[in-house]
Amino acid sequence: MSTYSNQCAIVGVGENQRSRKSGTTPLHMALTAARNALADAGLEAKDLDGIMNYSTGGDSCPSHELATYLGCHPKYVKDVSGGGSSTELLIADAVALIEAGMLETVLIYRSMNGSSGVQVGRGYDPNMLQEMLPGGSFIMPYGSASPSQWFGMFANRHMHETGITKEHLGHVCISFYEHAQRNPNAFLNGKPLDMETYLATPDISMPFNIHDCCVELDEANAIIVTSASNAKNCKSKPVFIAGMAPRTTHSQVHYWTQVDEVAADHAAADLYKSAGVKPEDIQVASIYDCFSWVVLRQLESYGFAKRGEVGDFVAAGNLKLGGSLPSNTAGGMLSEGYTHGMNNVLELVRQLRHDYKGTERQVKDCELGIATGWAGPDIAGAMILRN
Amino acid sequence: MTKQTAYEKPIPLKTPDNHEYWDAADRHELKLQKCSACSTFIHPPGPACPTCGSPETEWELLGSDISATVYSYIVSYRPFLPGFQHELPTVITVAALDAAPDVKIMANIIECDPGDVEIGMPLKMTWVDITDDRALPQWVLARG
Ligand SMILES: [Zn+2]
Repeated sequence: MSTYSNQCAIVGVGENQRSRKSGTTPLHMALTAARNALADAGLEAKDLDGIMNYSTGGDSCPSHELATYLGCHPKYVKDVSGGGSSTELLIADAVALIEAGMLETVLIYRSMNGSSGVQVGRGYDPNMLQEMLPGGSFIMPYGSASPSQWFGMFANRHMHETGITKEHLGHVCISFYEHAQRNPNAFLNGKPLDMETYLATPDISMPFNIHDCCVELDEANAIIVTSASNAKNCKSKPVFIAGMAPRTTHSQVHYWTQVDEVAADHAAADLYKSAGVKPEDIQVASIYDCFSWVVLRQLESYGFAKRGEVGDFVAAGNLKLGGSLPSNTAGGMLSEGYTHGMNNVLELVRQLRHDYKGTERQVKDCELGIATGWAGPDIAGAMILRN
Repeated sequence: MTKQTAYEKPIPLKTPDNHEYWDAADRHELKLQKCSACSTFIHPPGPACPTCGSPETEWELLGSDISATVYSYIVSYRPFLPGFQHELPTVITVAALDAAPDVKIMANIIECDPGDVEIGMPLKMTWVDITDDRALPQWVLARG
Protein backbone atom coordinates (compact mmCIF):
# COMPACT_ATOMS: atom_id res chain seq x y z
CA MET A 1 0.00 0.00 0.00
CA SER A 2 1.34 3.38 -0.94
CA THR A 3 1.60 6.32 1.44
CA TYR A 4 2.43 8.69 -1.41
CA SER A 5 -0.87 9.21 -3.17
CA ASN A 6 -0.13 12.81 -4.12
CA GLN A 7 -1.12 14.00 -0.65
CA CYS A 8 1.72 16.49 -0.43
CA ALA A 9 3.21 18.93 -2.89
CA ILE A 10 6.25 21.11 -3.42
CA VAL A 11 4.91 24.65 -3.65
CA GLY A 12 8.03 26.80 -3.46
CA VAL A 13 11.66 26.69 -4.53
CA GLY A 14 14.39 29.30 -4.18
CA GLU A 15 18.11 29.87 -4.17
CA ASN A 16 20.72 32.57 -3.67
CA GLN A 17 23.24 33.74 -6.26
CA ARG A 18 25.90 31.00 -6.53
CA SER A 19 29.56 32.01 -6.58
CA ARG A 20 33.12 30.90 -5.88
CA LYS A 21 33.31 33.24 -2.91
CA SER A 22 30.10 34.37 -1.24
CA GLY A 23 31.87 36.66 1.23
CA THR A 24 29.10 35.83 3.67
CA THR A 25 27.88 33.08 5.99
CA PRO A 26 25.70 30.02 5.27
CA LEU A 27 23.02 31.69 7.43
CA HIS A 28 22.85 34.76 5.16
CA MET A 29 22.69 32.56 2.06
CA ALA A 30 20.02 30.29 3.58
CA LEU A 31 17.88 33.34 4.45
CA THR A 32 17.99 34.53 0.84
CA ALA A 33 17.07 31.08 -0.48
CA ALA A 34 14.25 30.70 2.07
CA ARG A 35 12.78 34.15 1.32
CA ASN A 36 12.86 33.36 -2.41
CA ALA A 37 11.11 30.02 -1.86
CA LEU A 38 8.44 31.72 0.29
CA ALA A 39 7.89 34.38 -2.38
CA ASP A 40 7.67 31.67 -5.05
CA ALA A 41 4.94 29.92 -3.02
CA GLY A 42 3.18 33.12 -2.04
CA LEU A 43 3.61 32.23 1.63
CA GLU A 44 4.95 34.10 4.63
CA ALA A 45 7.51 32.89 7.17
CA LYS A 46 4.79 32.57 9.82
CA ASP A 47 3.12 29.94 7.62
CA LEU A 48 6.06 27.57 8.19
CA ASP A 49 5.59 25.15 11.05
CA GLY A 50 8.61 22.99 10.26
CA ILE A 51 12.17 23.75 9.10
CA MET A 52 14.78 21.10 8.27
CA ASN A 53 18.35 21.20 7.01
CA TYR A 54 21.22 18.84 6.25
CA SER A 55 24.92 19.47 6.44
CA THR A 56 28.32 17.80 6.29
CA GLY A 57 30.87 18.45 9.01
CA GLY A 58 28.97 21.49 10.33
CA ASP A 59 29.16 23.44 7.06
CA SER A 60 25.61 24.86 7.29
CA CYS A 61 23.59 26.89 9.83
CA PRO A 62 21.02 25.44 12.24
CA SER A 63 17.32 25.50 11.36
CA HIS A 64 16.52 27.34 14.59
CA GLU A 65 18.81 30.21 13.55
CA LEU A 66 17.18 30.38 10.13
CA ALA A 67 13.75 30.55 11.81
CA THR A 68 14.96 33.27 14.17
CA TYR A 69 16.00 35.59 11.35
CA LEU A 70 13.02 34.81 9.16
CA GLY A 71 11.14 36.12 12.16
CA CYS A 72 9.10 33.00 12.84
CA HIS A 73 8.72 30.32 15.50
CA PRO A 74 7.96 26.97 13.82
CA LYS A 75 6.80 24.02 15.94
CA TYR A 76 9.53 21.76 14.65
CA VAL A 77 13.16 22.17 13.62
CA LYS A 78 15.55 19.40 12.58
CA ASP A 79 19.19 19.36 11.47
CA VAL A 80 20.73 16.16 10.13
CA SER A 81 24.17 15.14 8.96
CA GLY A 82 23.85 14.05 5.36
CA GLY A 83 24.67 14.58 1.73
CA GLY A 84 23.55 12.91 -1.48
CA SER A 85 19.94 11.63 -1.04
CA SER A 86 19.26 13.84 2.01
CA THR A 87 17.04 16.19 -0.04
CA GLU A 88 14.75 13.28 -0.88
CA LEU A 89 14.88 11.78 2.62
CA LEU A 90 14.02 15.07 4.36
CA ILE A 91 11.13 15.56 1.95
CA ALA A 92 10.00 12.04 2.97
CA ASP A 93 10.16 13.12 6.64
CA ALA A 94 8.15 16.24 5.86
CA VAL A 95 5.49 14.20 4.04
CA ALA A 96 5.23 11.78 6.97
CA LEU A 97 4.84 14.61 9.50
CA ILE A 98 2.29 16.38 7.33
CA GLU A 99 0.29 13.20 6.77
CA ALA A 100 0.40 12.46 10.51
CA GLY A 101 -1.24 15.81 11.05
CA MET A 102 1.65 17.22 13.09
CA LEU A 103 2.73 19.83 10.57
CA GLU A 104 1.22 21.63 7.61
CA THR A 105 4.09 23.38 5.81
CA VAL A 106 7.80 22.53 5.96
CA LEU A 107 10.81 24.36 4.53
CA ILE A 108 13.90 22.27 3.73
CA TYR A 109 17.23 23.88 2.87
CA ARG A 110 20.88 23.21 2.12
CA SER A 111 23.36 26.06 2.53
CA MET A 112 27.11 25.73 2.11
CA ASN A 113 30.22 27.72 1.33
CA GLY A 114 31.30 24.71 -0.72
CA SER A 115 34.03 26.65 -2.48
CA SER A 116 35.35 29.26 -0.05
CA GLY A 117 34.58 27.24 3.11
CA VAL A 118 34.48 23.47 3.52
CA GLN A 119 35.33 21.96 0.11
CA VAL A 120 34.84 18.20 0.35
CA GLY A 121 36.38 17.52 -3.05
CA ARG A 122 39.76 18.65 -1.72
CA GLY A 123 39.65 15.76 0.74
CA TYR A 124 38.36 15.19 4.25
CA ASP A 125 40.37 15.94 7.38
CA PRO A 126 42.35 12.74 8.00
CA ASN A 127 42.09 12.87 11.79
CA MET A 128 38.35 13.52 11.70
CA LEU A 129 37.71 10.59 9.36
CA GLN A 130 39.98 8.22 11.28
CA GLU A 131 38.26 9.05 14.55
CA MET A 132 34.70 9.08 13.23
CA LEU A 133 34.55 5.97 11.04
CA PRO A 134 35.78 2.42 11.72
CA GLY A 135 36.96 2.29 8.09
CA GLY A 136 38.76 5.64 8.30
CA SER A 137 42.12 4.26 9.44
CA PHE A 138 42.05 1.78 6.58
CA ILE A 139 41.82 4.39 3.83
CA MET A 140 43.53 7.58 5.06
CA PRO A 141 47.08 6.13 5.41
CA TYR A 142 46.95 5.29 1.69
CA GLY A 143 46.21 8.81 0.49
CA SER A 144 42.52 8.24 -0.20
CA ALA A 145 40.71 11.26 1.24
CA SER A 146 38.76 12.67 -1.69
CA PRO A 147 35.38 11.46 -2.97
CA SER A 148 36.92 11.52 -6.48
CA GLN A 149 39.21 8.71 -5.34
CA TRP A 150 36.49 6.72 -3.55
CA PHE A 151 34.04 6.92 -6.45
CA GLY A 152 36.78 6.54 -9.06
CA MET A 153 37.76 3.19 -7.56
CA PHE A 154 34.27 1.80 -8.13
CA ALA A 155 33.78 3.53 -11.44
CA ASN A 156 36.84 1.67 -12.74
CA ARG A 157 35.47 -1.70 -11.62
CA HIS A 158 32.01 -1.07 -13.06
CA MET A 159 33.47 0.21 -16.35
CA HIS A 160 35.66 -2.91 -16.53
CA GLU A 161 32.62 -5.15 -16.04
CA THR A 162 30.19 -3.39 -18.35
CA GLY A 163 32.30 -1.93 -21.15
CA ILE A 164 31.67 1.71 -20.26
CA THR A 165 34.46 3.88 -21.67
CA LYS A 166 35.98 7.26 -20.93
CA GLU A 167 34.04 8.60 -23.93
CA HIS A 168 30.79 7.47 -22.33
CA LEU A 169 31.67 9.48 -19.22
CA GLY A 170 32.35 12.38 -21.60
CA HIS A 171 28.86 12.12 -23.10
CA VAL A 172 27.34 12.62 -19.64
CA CYS A 173 29.48 15.74 -19.07
CA ILE A 174 28.85 17.16 -22.54
CA SER A 175 25.06 16.63 -22.26
CA PHE A 176 24.88 18.51 -18.95
CA TYR A 177 27.30 21.27 -20.04
CA GLU A 178 25.05 21.78 -23.06
CA HIS A 179 22.11 22.38 -20.68
CA ALA A 180 24.19 24.86 -18.67
CA GLN A 181 24.63 26.97 -21.82
CA ARG A 182 20.84 27.58 -21.81
CA ASN A 183 20.78 28.44 -18.09
CA PRO A 184 22.12 31.93 -17.31
CA ASN A 185 22.39 30.97 -13.62
CA ALA A 186 24.61 27.95 -14.29
CA PHE A 187 28.15 28.55 -13.07
CA LEU A 188 29.60 27.11 -16.29
CA ASN A 189 27.27 29.06 -18.57
CA GLY A 190 29.49 30.40 -21.33
CA LYS A 191 31.91 27.48 -20.99
CA PRO A 192 30.72 24.79 -23.41
CA LEU A 193 32.51 21.44 -23.59
CA ASP A 194 33.25 19.24 -26.60
CA MET A 195 34.57 15.68 -26.72
CA GLU A 196 37.99 16.66 -28.00
CA THR A 197 38.55 19.04 -25.09
CA TYR A 198 37.11 16.53 -22.63
CA LEU A 199 39.39 13.72 -23.75
CA ALA A 200 42.44 15.99 -23.76
CA THR A 201 41.89 17.05 -20.14
CA PRO A 202 44.25 15.24 -17.75
CA ASP A 203 42.81 13.03 -15.01
CA ILE A 204 42.71 14.07 -11.35
CA SER A 205 41.69 10.65 -10.04
CA MET A 206 41.42 8.12 -12.87
CA PRO A 207 38.95 7.87 -14.61
CA PHE A 208 37.84 11.38 -13.60
CA ASN A 209 39.17 14.69 -14.91
CA ILE A 210 37.87 18.06 -13.72
CA HIS A 211 34.81 17.85 -16.01
CA ASP A 212 33.71 14.56 -14.40
CA CYS A 213 33.61 16.24 -10.97
CA CYS A 214 30.83 18.51 -9.70
CA VAL A 215 31.49 22.22 -9.51
CA GLU A 216 31.83 23.12 -5.83
CA LEU A 217 30.43 26.57 -5.04
CA ASP A 218 29.03 28.79 -2.32
CA GLU A 219 25.26 28.47 -2.54
CA ALA A 220 21.98 27.82 -0.77
CA ASN A 221 18.73 26.21 -1.95
CA ALA A 222 15.32 25.89 -0.30
CA ILE A 223 12.18 23.84 -0.97
CA ILE A 224 8.72 24.20 0.62
CA VAL A 225 6.48 21.16 1.06
CA THR A 226 2.85 21.41 2.14
CA SER A 227 -0.33 19.33 2.16
CA ALA A 228 -2.19 18.99 -1.14
CA SER A 229 -5.15 20.78 0.39
CA ASN A 230 -3.04 23.74 1.49
CA ALA A 231 -1.27 23.79 -1.89
CA LYS A 232 -4.49 25.24 -3.35
CA ASN A 233 -3.89 28.41 -1.30
CA CYS A 234 -0.42 28.91 -2.78
CA LYS A 235 0.53 31.16 -5.65
CA SER A 236 2.58 28.56 -7.53
CA LYS A 237 1.46 25.52 -9.50
CA PRO A 238 1.85 22.55 -7.11
CA VAL A 239 4.17 19.66 -7.96
CA PHE A 240 2.90 16.55 -6.19
CA ILE A 241 5.07 13.98 -4.45
CA ALA A 242 3.94 10.76 -6.12
CA GLY A 243 6.46 8.25 -4.79
CA MET A 244 9.49 7.89 -2.54
CA ALA A 245 12.04 5.24 -1.57
CA PRO A 246 15.09 5.23 0.72
CA ARG A 247 17.66 2.43 0.97
CA THR A 248 21.00 1.42 2.50
CA THR A 249 23.03 -1.63 1.47
CA HIS A 250 26.80 -1.82 2.03
CA SER A 251 28.12 -2.21 5.58
CA GLN A 252 30.54 0.70 5.69
CA VAL A 253 30.62 4.40 4.92
CA HIS A 254 33.52 5.00 2.48
CA TYR A 255 35.00 1.49 2.83
CA TRP A 256 32.98 -0.18 0.11
CA THR A 257 33.86 -3.66 -1.09
CA GLN A 258 31.82 -4.20 -4.24
CA VAL A 259 29.77 -2.35 -6.82
CA ASP A 260 27.75 -5.24 -8.30
CA GLU A 261 24.83 -4.30 -6.11
CA VAL A 262 24.21 -0.74 -4.95
CA ALA A 263 21.54 0.85 -2.76
CA ALA A 264 19.94 2.53 -5.80
CA ASP A 265 19.17 -0.91 -7.34
CA HIS A 266 16.90 -1.66 -4.39
CA ALA A 267 15.45 1.82 -4.01
CA ALA A 268 14.31 1.67 -7.64
CA ALA A 269 11.87 -1.22 -7.19
CA ASP A 270 10.29 0.35 -4.10
CA LEU A 271 10.15 3.75 -5.78
CA TYR A 272 8.23 2.67 -8.87
CA LYS A 273 5.89 0.59 -6.72
CA SER A 274 5.16 3.52 -4.40
CA ALA A 275 4.24 5.75 -7.34
CA GLY A 276 2.57 3.07 -9.47
CA VAL A 277 4.62 3.99 -12.55
CA LYS A 278 7.36 2.43 -14.69
CA PRO A 279 10.72 3.79 -15.90
CA GLU A 280 9.31 4.32 -19.41
CA ASP A 281 6.64 6.68 -17.99
CA ILE A 282 9.28 9.16 -16.75
CA GLN A 283 9.65 12.24 -18.98
CA VAL A 284 12.26 14.34 -17.17
CA ALA A 285 14.96 13.46 -14.65
CA SER A 286 17.20 14.87 -11.98
CA ILE A 287 19.96 12.32 -11.49
CA TYR A 288 22.52 12.78 -8.73
CA ASP A 289 25.76 13.73 -10.44
CA CYS A 290 28.57 14.36 -7.98
CA PHE A 291 30.65 12.52 -10.63
CA SER A 292 29.78 11.61 -14.22
CA TRP A 293 29.98 7.86 -13.60
CA VAL A 294 27.43 8.03 -10.78
CA VAL A 295 24.85 8.99 -13.44
CA LEU A 296 25.68 5.91 -15.53
CA ARG A 297 25.40 3.52 -12.58
CA GLN A 298 22.04 5.03 -11.59
CA LEU A 299 20.64 4.84 -15.15
CA GLU A 300 21.24 1.09 -14.77
CA SER A 301 19.69 1.00 -11.27
CA TYR A 302 16.54 2.90 -12.16
CA GLY A 303 15.88 0.88 -15.29
CA PHE A 304 16.50 3.51 -17.99
CA ALA A 305 19.05 1.32 -19.78
CA LYS A 306 20.13 -2.27 -19.30
CA ARG A 307 23.46 -3.15 -17.70
CA GLY A 308 26.01 -3.08 -20.49
CA GLU A 309 23.91 -0.71 -22.65
CA VAL A 310 24.13 2.43 -20.52
CA GLY A 311 27.11 3.80 -22.44
CA ASP A 312 25.27 3.57 -25.76
CA PHE A 313 22.20 5.16 -24.13
CA VAL A 314 24.11 8.33 -23.20
CA ALA A 315 26.17 8.38 -26.42
CA ALA A 316 22.87 8.48 -28.37
CA GLY A 317 22.04 11.80 -26.67
CA ASN A 318 19.21 10.50 -24.51
CA LEU A 319 20.13 12.75 -21.56
CA LYS A 320 19.88 15.88 -23.70
CA LEU A 321 16.80 18.02 -24.29
CA GLY A 322 14.98 16.21 -27.07
CA GLY A 323 16.33 12.83 -25.92
CA SER A 324 14.24 10.09 -24.30
CA LEU A 325 15.23 11.13 -20.77
CA PRO A 326 16.18 14.82 -20.57
CA SER A 327 18.23 14.94 -17.37
CA ASN A 328 19.75 17.67 -15.20
CA THR A 329 18.36 20.22 -17.58
CA ALA A 330 19.84 23.18 -15.67
CA GLY A 331 23.33 21.72 -16.08
CA GLY A 332 23.37 19.45 -13.05
CA MET A 333 26.01 19.48 -10.37
CA LEU A 334 28.65 18.97 -13.06
CA SER A 335 28.02 22.41 -14.55
CA GLU A 336 25.22 24.37 -12.81
CA GLY A 337 26.27 24.17 -9.16
CA TYR A 338 26.49 21.83 -6.22
CA THR A 339 24.23 21.83 -3.19
CA HIS A 340 24.44 18.11 -2.50
CA GLY A 341 21.61 17.33 -4.90
CA MET A 342 19.07 20.01 -4.02
CA ASN A 343 19.68 22.26 -7.04
CA ASN A 344 18.75 19.35 -9.34
CA VAL A 345 15.45 18.97 -7.51
CA LEU A 346 14.71 22.71 -7.87
CA GLU A 347 15.13 22.33 -11.63
CA LEU A 348 12.87 19.27 -11.76
CA VAL A 349 10.12 21.24 -9.98
CA ARG A 350 10.48 24.12 -12.45
CA GLN A 351 10.31 21.75 -15.43
CA LEU A 352 7.17 20.08 -14.11
CA ARG A 353 5.56 23.49 -13.53
CA HIS A 354 6.44 24.39 -17.14
CA ASP A 355 8.22 27.53 -15.90
CA TYR A 356 10.25 27.59 -19.12
CA LYS A 357 7.26 27.25 -21.44
CA GLY A 358 7.89 28.91 -24.79
CA THR A 359 11.67 28.57 -24.50
CA GLU A 360 14.04 25.91 -25.80
CA ARG A 361 14.80 24.94 -22.21
CA GLN A 362 11.34 23.46 -21.47
CA VAL A 363 10.85 19.68 -21.64
CA LYS A 364 7.63 19.92 -23.59
CA ASP A 365 4.42 18.93 -21.77
CA CYS A 366 6.29 16.89 -19.13
CA GLU A 367 4.09 15.56 -16.34
CA LEU A 368 6.18 12.95 -14.55
CA GLY A 369 9.74 13.28 -13.27
CA ILE A 370 12.25 11.40 -11.15
CA ALA A 371 14.82 12.76 -8.69
CA THR A 372 17.53 10.37 -7.54
CA GLY A 373 19.95 10.86 -4.67
CA TRP A 374 23.17 8.92 -4.18
CA ALA A 375 25.44 9.21 -1.14
CA GLY A 376 27.52 6.30 -2.44
CA PRO A 377 27.01 2.67 -3.40
CA ASP A 378 25.75 2.31 0.18
CA ILE A 379 22.97 4.92 0.50
CA ALA A 380 20.25 6.06 -1.91
CA GLY A 381 16.99 7.97 -1.80
CA ALA A 382 14.73 8.81 -4.73
CA MET A 383 11.34 10.32 -5.43
CA ILE A 384 8.85 10.71 -8.24
CA LEU A 385 7.12 14.05 -8.80
CA ARG A 386 4.11 14.86 -10.98
CA ASN A 387 2.22 17.99 -11.92
CA MET B 1 70.01 18.14 -1.17
CA THR B 2 67.14 16.02 0.17
CA LYS B 3 67.22 14.61 3.62
CA GLN B 4 65.07 11.90 5.23
CA THR B 5 62.52 13.77 7.30
CA ALA B 6 59.72 12.70 9.65
CA TYR B 7 56.90 10.60 8.16
CA GLU B 8 54.34 13.09 6.82
CA LYS B 9 51.45 10.84 5.80
CA PRO B 10 48.56 9.93 8.11
CA ILE B 11 49.52 7.11 10.49
CA PRO B 12 46.78 4.51 11.11
CA LEU B 13 44.95 5.36 14.31
CA LYS B 14 44.75 2.42 16.71
CA THR B 15 41.39 2.03 18.43
CA PRO B 16 39.94 -0.61 20.79
CA ASP B 17 38.29 -2.20 17.74
CA ASN B 18 41.23 -2.28 15.34
CA HIS B 19 44.47 -2.42 17.38
CA GLU B 20 44.92 -6.19 16.87
CA TYR B 21 45.09 -5.58 13.11
CA TRP B 22 47.63 -2.76 13.39
CA ASP B 23 49.65 -4.47 16.15
CA ALA B 24 50.04 -7.48 13.82
CA ALA B 25 50.95 -5.15 10.94
CA ASP B 26 53.73 -3.69 13.08
CA ARG B 27 55.11 -7.28 13.29
CA HIS B 28 54.69 -7.66 9.48
CA GLU B 29 51.76 -10.04 9.81
CA LEU B 30 48.12 -9.99 8.70
CA LYS B 31 45.54 -10.68 11.38
CA LEU B 32 41.82 -10.42 10.67
CA GLN B 33 38.80 -10.14 12.90
CA LYS B 34 36.28 -12.94 12.53
CA CYS B 35 32.74 -13.43 13.80
CA SER B 36 32.52 -16.19 16.42
CA ALA B 37 28.87 -16.79 15.58
CA CYS B 38 28.79 -16.94 11.76
CA SER B 39 32.57 -17.29 11.01
CA THR B 40 32.57 -14.37 8.55
CA PHE B 41 35.71 -12.23 8.41
CA ILE B 42 35.11 -8.63 9.50
CA HIS B 43 37.15 -6.00 7.66
CA PRO B 44 37.60 -3.23 8.55
CA PRO B 45 37.34 -4.43 12.15
CA GLY B 46 34.50 -3.15 14.30
CA PRO B 47 32.54 -3.56 17.51
CA ALA B 48 30.33 -6.35 16.12
CA CYS B 49 29.74 -8.49 13.02
CA PRO B 50 28.12 -6.52 10.17
CA THR B 51 26.80 -9.78 8.69
CA CYS B 52 24.85 -11.13 11.69
CA GLY B 53 25.14 -8.44 14.37
CA SER B 54 26.90 -10.70 16.88
CA PRO B 55 29.21 -8.87 19.33
CA GLU B 56 31.24 -12.09 19.82
CA THR B 57 34.34 -11.80 17.66
CA GLU B 58 37.81 -13.36 17.55
CA TRP B 59 41.07 -12.80 15.65
CA GLU B 60 42.72 -15.11 13.11
CA LEU B 61 46.39 -14.84 12.17
CA LEU B 62 46.93 -15.27 8.42
CA GLY B 63 50.70 -14.83 8.56
CA SER B 64 53.10 -12.97 6.27
CA ASP B 65 52.60 -14.79 2.96
CA ILE B 66 49.49 -13.02 1.71
CA SER B 67 48.31 -13.05 -1.89
CA ALA B 68 45.42 -11.19 -3.43
CA THR B 69 43.89 -10.04 -6.72
CA VAL B 70 43.18 -6.47 -7.89
CA TYR B 71 39.39 -5.97 -7.59
CA SER B 72 39.75 -2.35 -8.66
CA TYR B 73 42.26 0.47 -8.50
CA ILE B 74 42.74 4.13 -9.23
CA VAL B 75 45.67 6.24 -10.29
CA SER B 76 45.60 9.44 -8.26
CA TYR B 77 47.40 12.43 -9.78
CA ARG B 78 46.81 14.95 -7.00
CA PRO B 79 47.83 14.79 -3.37
CA PHE B 80 44.79 15.03 -1.11
CA LEU B 81 46.77 14.33 2.06
CA PRO B 82 50.18 15.39 3.41
CA GLY B 83 53.14 13.35 2.22
CA PHE B 84 51.66 12.13 -1.05
CA GLN B 85 52.96 15.13 -3.00
CA HIS B 86 56.33 13.35 -3.16
CA GLU B 87 54.94 10.16 -4.73
CA LEU B 88 52.67 11.12 -7.62
CA PRO B 89 50.93 9.50 -9.26
CA THR B 90 49.75 7.25 -6.42
CA VAL B 91 48.15 3.88 -7.16
CA ILE B 92 45.43 2.84 -4.68
CA THR B 93 43.79 -0.57 -4.95
CA VAL B 94 41.02 -2.57 -3.35
CA ALA B 95 42.36 -6.13 -3.46
CA ALA B 96 40.45 -9.35 -2.80
CA LEU B 97 42.37 -11.83 -0.62
CA ASP B 98 42.92 -15.14 -2.40
CA ALA B 99 42.27 -16.95 0.91
CA ALA B 100 39.00 -15.04 1.51
CA PRO B 101 37.82 -13.12 -1.60
CA ASP B 102 35.05 -11.32 0.28
CA VAL B 103 37.75 -9.57 2.30
CA LYS B 104 39.06 -6.59 0.35
CA ILE B 105 42.07 -4.74 1.66
CA MET B 106 42.74 -1.23 0.46
CA ALA B 107 46.37 -0.14 0.12
CA ASN B 108 48.75 1.35 -2.38
CA ILE B 109 50.46 -0.76 -5.01
CA ILE B 110 54.04 0.36 -4.48
CA GLU B 111 57.12 0.05 -6.68
CA CYS B 112 55.06 -0.22 -9.87
CA ASP B 113 54.51 1.67 -13.10
CA PRO B 114 50.84 2.81 -12.88
CA GLY B 115 50.44 1.92 -16.55
CA ASP B 116 51.15 -1.75 -15.76
CA VAL B 117 48.28 -2.20 -13.30
CA GLU B 118 45.13 -4.03 -14.41
CA ILE B 119 42.04 -5.39 -12.71
CA GLY B 120 42.56 -9.09 -11.95
CA MET B 121 46.36 -8.87 -11.48
CA PRO B 122 47.95 -10.92 -8.70
CA LEU B 123 49.43 -9.05 -5.73
CA LYS B 124 51.55 -9.87 -2.69
CA MET B 125 51.38 -8.09 0.63
CA THR B 126 54.47 -6.34 1.92
CA TRP B 127 55.02 -4.18 5.01
CA VAL B 128 56.76 -0.82 5.01
CA ASP B 129 58.32 0.45 8.25
CA ILE B 130 57.06 4.02 8.49
CA THR B 131 58.29 4.97 11.98
CA ASP B 132 60.42 3.27 14.65
CA ASP B 133 57.49 1.23 15.89
CA ARG B 134 54.87 1.29 13.15
CA ALA B 135 54.58 -0.60 9.86
CA LEU B 136 52.04 -0.22 7.06
CA PRO B 137 50.72 -3.12 4.93
CA GLN B 138 51.12 -2.44 1.21
CA TRP B 139 50.74 -4.38 -2.05
CA VAL B 140 53.32 -5.13 -4.72
CA LEU B 141 52.74 -6.81 -8.08
CA ALA B 142 53.37 -10.57 -7.77
CA ARG B 143 56.32 -11.61 -9.94
CA GLY B 144 56.43 -14.75 -12.08
ZN1 LIG C 1 28.46 -12.87 12.20
